[in-house]
Order: sequence, then C-alpha cells, then structure tokens
Amino acid sequence: MKRSSPWKRLLVSLLVWSIVLVVIFPLIWMILTSIKPQTELFRIPPSFWPGEITFEHYATLFKETPFPQYLRNSVIISASTTILVIVVAVAGAYSLTRFAYPGRDRLAILVLFTYLLPSVVLVLPLYLTMVKAGIANTLSSLVIAYTTFALPYALWLLRSFMASMPEELEWAALVDGASRTGAFIDVVLPQTLPGIISTALFTFILAWNEYFYALILVNSDEARPVTTGVITMLVSSFNIEWSLLMAAAVAMSLPLIIIFVFLQGYLVKGFATTGTKG
Amino acid sequence: MGEAAGITLERLHKQFGEFIAVNDLDLDIRPGEFVSLLGPSGCGKTTTLRMLAGLEFPTRGTIRFGERVVNDLAPAKRNIAMVFQSYALYPHMTVAENIAYPLKKRGVPKAARLTRVVAVARLLQLETLLTRKPRQLSGGQQQRVALGRALVREPDIFLLDEPLSNLDAKLRAHMRTELIELHRKIGKTMVYVTHDQLEAMTMSSRIAVMRGGFLQQFGTPAEIYDRPANVFVADFIGTPSMTLLDAELHFVGAAAEARIGPLVVPLPAGQVAADGRGKIEIKLGVRPEDITLDEQGFPAEVKVVEPTGHENIVLFGLGDMAVTARIPAHVRLCTREHARISFRPSRLHAFDRATGTRLVGGGE
Repeated sequence: MKRSSPWKRLLVSLLVWSIVLVVIFPLIWMILTSIKPQTELFRIPPSFWPGEITFEHYATLFKETPFPQYLRNSVIISASTTILVIVVAVAGAYSLTRFAYPGRDRLAILVLFTYLLPSVVLVLPLYLTMVKAGIANTLSSLVIAYTTFALPYALWLLRSFMASMPEELEWAALVDGASRTGAFIDVVLPQTLPGIISTALFTFILAWNEYFYALILVNSDEARPVTTGVITMLVSSFNIEWSLLMAAAVAMSLPLIIIFVFLQGYLVKGFATTGTKG
Repeated sequence: MGEAAGITLERLHKQFGEFIAVNDLDLDIRPGEFVSLLGPSGCGKTTTLRMLAGLEFPTRGTIRFGERVVNDLAPAKRNIAMVFQSYALYPHMTVAENIAYPLKKRGVPKAARLTRVVAVARLLQLETLLTRKPRQLSGGQQQRVALGRALVREPDIFLLDEPLSNLDAKLRAHMRTELIELHRKIGKTMVYVTHDQLEAMTMSSRIAVMRGGFLQQFGTPAEIYDRPANVFVADFIGTPSMTLLDAELHFVGAAAEARIGPLVVPLPAGQVAADGRGKIEIKLGVRPEDITLDEQGFPAEVKVVEPTGHENIVLFGLGDMAVTARIPAHVRLCTREHARISFRPSRLHAFDRATGTRLVGGGE
C-alpha cells in the first residue's frame, strides 16, 4: 500500500479527533458540571473548566436523597434480569438448534415476532397482569417486564452462536462417555461462553437504561430504578437540579463503563469464531 | 473391557421420514477385523456408523456387539471410540486434556490418566504437543490427537468416519500406512467409513459396498475386485473403471460366447450354466488391465492416451463403443493409430443386463 503523505495523515487525524470531540463533549460537560460549585453553573459567560473542584453534589446525592436506593434497585433489577434471561436463553437456544421437534423453526420466528411488537402495545396488558398477579410496583415486576423484551433477542443471538458450533463436538463428547448434560457443560458452554458474555452484557445494558416500563409499572421509591428515580427526584415543572442531575448521571454511567472495561476482552473473543479444523 | 468384539447387524433399518437411509442391512463383522463401509455419498454408510455409535437409533433391526444387543444403549455405554471427519477436537482444551477427556468421563483418577495420556502420546508421537491447543496443530497432528483420544481408553470397537478425507494426498497415504500399522498393533475391531476405494482396498480385511441404503457386496478386497457381485460394484471399484459393454450371451453346445454386434468373445467354459434360455442380454465387463494388444484381436482405434508414468491409460474405439485399457508405458501408441486388442477370456465379467447381477467370470 502507498504510504500517505504526513499532511494527509494530519488532516485525517484532525478530522477524526474533531468528530470524537463533538461526540464526547456532552459527557465531558456532564462530568465538569458535576464537580462545579453551584455558583459557577449559571455564570455568564459560562466557564469551561471549574474554578474550584467540589464533590459536594455527590455527597448530597448519596447522603440526602434516595439515590443509593435507586442505584441498589437498578443493580438488583439488571442483574436478576440478566441471570434469568441468560439461563432461559441458553437452554432455549440449545433446544432450538439441537433438538428436532415439530414447529421448531416456526417457534423461533414467533419468538422474534414478539420482539417486534412496540413496547407501548405491551405495557398496559403487562401492567394489568402484574396487578392481577399481585406483583405490581415491585422489583420483580420490572425483572419480568424486561425479560419479555430482552429474552427474544438474547435467544436469537445465542441461537446463532450455537448453530455455528459444529455438532460433531457434542457427538464426540457423547461417544467419549459424557451424558447429554455432561456434553452440554463440558463442550457447549465453554464454546459459547464469549457469546453468552456478550449477550449478558447486552441484556444488562438494556435493563440498566430502561425508562419507559419503569415509569409505567413502578411508582414507589422502594422499587424505582435510577433512570426514573433521578428524573422524578430532580426534575420538576419548576426546577431542574442540574448539579445533582449531572452527578447522578455520572454515578449511573460508571457501573456500565467498569463492566465494559472488564469484559471487553471477552467481547472481542466473542467475535473471533471457533472451529474444529485447523 | 479391552477385548475386541465382533459386530452383528441383523436386518438393520433406518428411515428418516419417507427416506430410507439404511435398508435391512445384514452384516457380520468378526472380532479384530478391519471392515470398510464403502459407497458414494448418500449410500447409508455414515448412518450405519452413527447407529453403531449410538448417535442414531435404528428404526428396526438389531445391533449386537459380541453377544450383547446394544440397540438402545447410549453412546457412553457402548465402549466404543469414534474418530470424526472433522476430528472434533475440543478447541478449548489442550491436546493432553483432549486425550484425557474419555478417561475423565469414566472416573479414572488423575495420576492414572496422565500415565495413559503419555503412553498414547508416545505411540502417536505427540509428546511434544501435549500443552498445545488444537488450533495450533497441523491437520495431520490434529488427526493423530483424534486417534489418541480414541485409543486412550482401549475400547472394544473403533469407528472411523472418513478420518483421512481432510488431509492432503501425501499425508493421507502416510496416515493410511500408520492406521494399518496401528490396527495390527492393537488388534481391535475397526469399522471405517469412506468413499475412497483406494483407502478401502488398501486397509480393509473386508469391504461392505453400499448404495442407496442397500448392501451391494461384502467381501475381501480381492473378492470385490475380482468377482464384483453386480454392475454397480464392478463399475464403482477400480480406477479407471471397468468397461461395460452391452452384449448378448449365446450358448453354443457347452460353450458360451458373448456377441457384441459383429464381435464374438468366447467365455470360459463351464462357468455359465445354460438355463434353457437361448440368449441372455448381458453387460460384458472387462478391466483395463485385462485388455492386451494382440495381432489376432479386434481392430480398434486409439482415441486418447493418458500417460501416468509407469503405464498409459488408453481409450480405444471399438466400433461405436469405447474401451479403456492399461498399456505398459514402453508401448508407443499415438492418437488415431489403429491397433488390435483382445480381452483375457478368463478375466471377463458378465452381468445380467436386466437385474445387474453377476453371471460369470472374473479371476478365481
């Protein structure tokens, strides 16, 4: 390949970095706002760098508001949803790829079809069902609601992962003395692990960021996740607590960023396919 | 455990919906035998092997290992080992872990596992590769690991599903001799599925030729080659293929002769029983090596000459028919040249044209 001139490379770099800057500017602004003293926020002209760094908003957020409760709720809801979705989706995807039964493919398409329905259509019947079942306004109601839309997608993701795994590996395990379950644990799970992790991450993010269902299905602080919690707490018709809002935004983004950093390696591995031939 | 077991198949039948994959197969494999299931794709050979492994269950019929009926046994309970076409090595395990896996599943303690893995690795020259992952190995090495995994727990029966078909030609020839050597060393019953007649002919003690779910012939390589049971076997075995000519079988007194248009080919006396029919429509088969240049022979024209080095494969035009012959390389033949050829009478094959079954001929 021809080596491009230094000027051209400089130009491309400048272009790329300016796009990156535009994209991450709101995030930087969010972080900067969250550590500015209240008095600096509405100064005109606005200052970019904080004149003085303060963590008082974080202290207020964690000590004087129900934010820690929301955060805990979100963690419980997202983790439970992820576990539930992964357990059901792994078993379901395995069934859809490995067992022959009438209507198997139609079932798979039907599952995907439920994913295509807009959530607005589903939320009211879901709410009424939750009320009838006596779990309205609880953490489990959100776990179930999130599962309804995360599961179909997870099932399809894992299905394609498992379908790409050669069946001969399992046959070999069976002949080598493993039971069907043994072959599943020894061969299928390790082979699909990257797929499982990326699906889990996807589900977690989906549940963590969900707003609409949480708004409709839950209206008490005991069960409210961060997304709706922060809005109801800090945003009213008369006032928006900007500094607290920004601190909350930073606090709720951090867990995702941390998880992502840790699992990044697995995600990359997930897309490097495995096979039997050299 | 560890003794070679014979395999008996009785009216073994497998249907997938309407499709009959294996049709009432009877086969009796002796302990310690190396038997190949040979046939074109879709002939039912792999389905048969998978039924032996327990990966597929027969629609009806019986599979016996020794005296034991194994029809409904899970693969794990059959004490078999199988080598797959793709090797099916577990990609997340090292070579050592791959080989040890069958032992682990049978609860063999770790120390004993290690001893056995090392022994097998030595047998297959894998000692230096034990800590590698399968993807770091060459095709031939992966193949040997797959064999190692099959060997390690000393099964009664080995099932091999086209294990050499992913190797290049040179390595394939090498692995063929290694497999023969291995079979001689361990003396276990081996069932080998292949569509490659060369593999079947060189390695097997007996070959079962299959087609469309039906067993065509079961015999030693020599029997299959010299006395093919029908037109399919005759045509399928041998490279280049046997030439099959439409002819009429006539009986003249005690002698029989095949008439191909104006040509008359005498058939060896006493081999064909005159069954009262005056003439029978037949396919007359002649192998390329049984055609000789002969001054007294039929006039023929050289159509194509394919030199292979030690011999020439020559296509002769005989009237409006084509005949393939093997001619020694030192005989110079040119395209369009006229020659005279004749067939070795004792090596001719005759098949009933209507049923395809063998009537006469071949080497004794």
